[in-house]
Amino acid sequence: MTDNEHKLILARRRFIRNAGTLALAAPLISRAAQDTGEGVTFAGGERPLVQFPGKRKLILVHSRPPHLETPFNTFNESVITANDAFYVRYHLANFPTTIDLAEYRLNITGAVKKPLSLSLDELKSIVEQVELVAVNQCSGNSRGYSSPRVFGAQLSNGAMGNARWTGVSLKAVLEKAGVLSDAKQVVFNGLDKPVLPTTPDFHKTLDIEHALSPEPMLAWAMNGEDLPFLNGYPLKLIVPGYFGTYWVKHLSDIVVLDHAYEGHDAFFMSKAYHLPDNDCMCVAPGTAADKTRPISSLPVRSFITSVMAGDQLPVNRSVELKGIAFDSGEGLKSVDVSVDGGQTWKATTLSESLGRFSFREWKLDTTFRQKGNAVLMVRAGNNKGEVQPVKADWNPGGYRRHAIETTPVTIV
Amino acid sequence: MQAINYFRSILAFSFIFLATSSQSLAAPNQIKLPPETAKLPVSDLPGYNLATQKCMICHSVDYIQYQPPGMSQAQWTAEVAKMEHSYGASLSKADIKSIGAYLAVVYGTAKATDSGIIAASVVNPPKAEAAPQAQDLLNSNGCMGCHAIDEKRLGPSFKTIASKYQQQAEAQNMLASSMQKGGVGKWGEIPMPPMASLNAEQARILAKFILEQQ
Repeated sequence: MTDNEHKLILARRRFIRNAGTLALAAPLISRAAQDTGEGVTFAGGERPLVQFPGKRKLILVHSRPPHLETPFNTFNESVITANDAFYVRYHLANFPTTIDLAEYRLNITGAVKKPLSLSLDELKSIVEQVELVAVNQCSGNSRGYSSPRVFGAQLSNGAMGNARWTGVSLKAVLEKAGVLSDAKQVVFNGLDKPVLPTTPDFHKTLDIEHALSPEPMLAWAMNGEDLPFLNGYPLKLIVPGYFGTYWVKHLSDIVVLDHAYEGHDAFFMSKAYHLPDNDCMCVAPGTAADKTRPISSLPVRSFITSVMAGDQLPVNRSVELKGIAFDSGEGLKSVDVSVDGGQTWKATTLSESLGRFSFREWKLDTTFRQKGNAVLMVRAGNNKGEVQPVKADWNPGGYRRHAIETTPVTIV
Repeated sequence: MQAINYFRSILAFSFIFLATSSQSLAAPNQIKLPPETAKLPVSDLPGYNLATQKCMICHSVDYIQYQPPGMSQAQWTAEVAKMEHSYGASLSKADIKSIGAYLAVVYGTAKATDSGIIAASVVNPPKAEAAPQAQDLLNSNGCMGCHAIDEKRLGPSFKTIASKYQQQAEAQNMLASSMQKGGVGKWGEIPMPPMASLNAEQARILAKFILEQQ
């Protein structure tokens, strides 16, 4: 059975189960019922919707440490993801549930001329404030669709979000501390800690060139408000164009090194979050990689948000299809839609850009001329010449999924 | 006029006061996480007790429950092994096999009657050694991951526990039983996993040790 057939069968089952309770929304004839798995299956039952502090009801991935996924229909609400809908992902269960700004400090140490220990107020005034809209996507977003399946959080497509971040440039702060000329890497640590001393702490590194590039930020606000606690209050590292694993929460320590980071607590850079070290960052399904490297930037990706698998759409009427596309900041070149399973493609209209690291909305008016099953697809390409592949490639971690998405619907 | 000036000066004062001390006046940001609800399926396999005790030290049951269906005994066992070699869980080779077998039966493709499951589900024979020392038990059961002698970690400090229960009759038995069964609510919302692989003697040794901390 292909992925598509499987999705359609699941969607039909949901539709049948929920028939009669559906609200009809034009131009949709009927909406597929909400399924918190969104087509992904699990070993022990379906994932519930749960409410965590500062959040609306989100899909439970696991409760300790918290891991919550955004229900996909949220992405049709706005090109900016609301703070209370933004996904949550922790690795280590020993993190503070009380943070007092009177005590909080950001420490910048290591290979610098002048180590700094700053309160949040001091950080806010030490250099000029900046703002940027950027996508944070989990490395394992969509892992639940890996075939064959792999262990790890079985995410559907909701472990991503797009927000306006307010903070200061990492480069500007590092320059205040005065980076020494032999600096090689910068290590970032947050207030979260492992439960067992034998478990590696969650530390991430950026090469010094990247840390001193214009993009990375230290942000205290998200969409004009303080960071939600579970998204890293009071300060989060923002690495535009890079996967969410680098966006360290509750950021407390920045250490500049004159050597490459290694050792026990380098685990989340040296072993975890690795991809096969080859051009496609992939291997034959089910096989291991000889050589790996840390995951880095976002591949170009696009979604339909206005229509879900299993929806019914009307024949001979204009239907507006809508969605989002994004990449690592190269800039989107085109977003095309197919309503015939990939045989023909039409260019969509891109809405105003909120910046090269942001989700960008696309729209297309289309009219279906034939009743029956139809397969909608969306394909984005960027200025670097990258285009989403038709078939998903595979890697052992189930990371970096970016194949063309397909949405089976019925025209009635 | 005087009244207006007075009012103005209050306003100006308030403005300066607010502008300079808004941060230090702000209450700490505090959240309360919802309780965990997922439980491992009960089983006669020895891996059930081990999983309940050892896996839940670092994460909730739903971490396991929402893994993919259809994984084999070899795959589940490799995943448990990863918890030991990558994440430092305190698991012996026998523990890994036993937990892998249990998870493959309740969440994967294996059956409790498979020969591979039976072979992997061996209960560690009790060691014919001198009475275990509290320190060894603390280490082998991962107690110090969540507790410390005199500071609160995920769980209460041993000194706090001692001062709460020292005066109670039967405190040692009560504490021993509490360790074996686990619980939630007495000290907060993070559950204490049941230390089900402790036998009665081991639990009493640990309870005695904890009650001696003052």
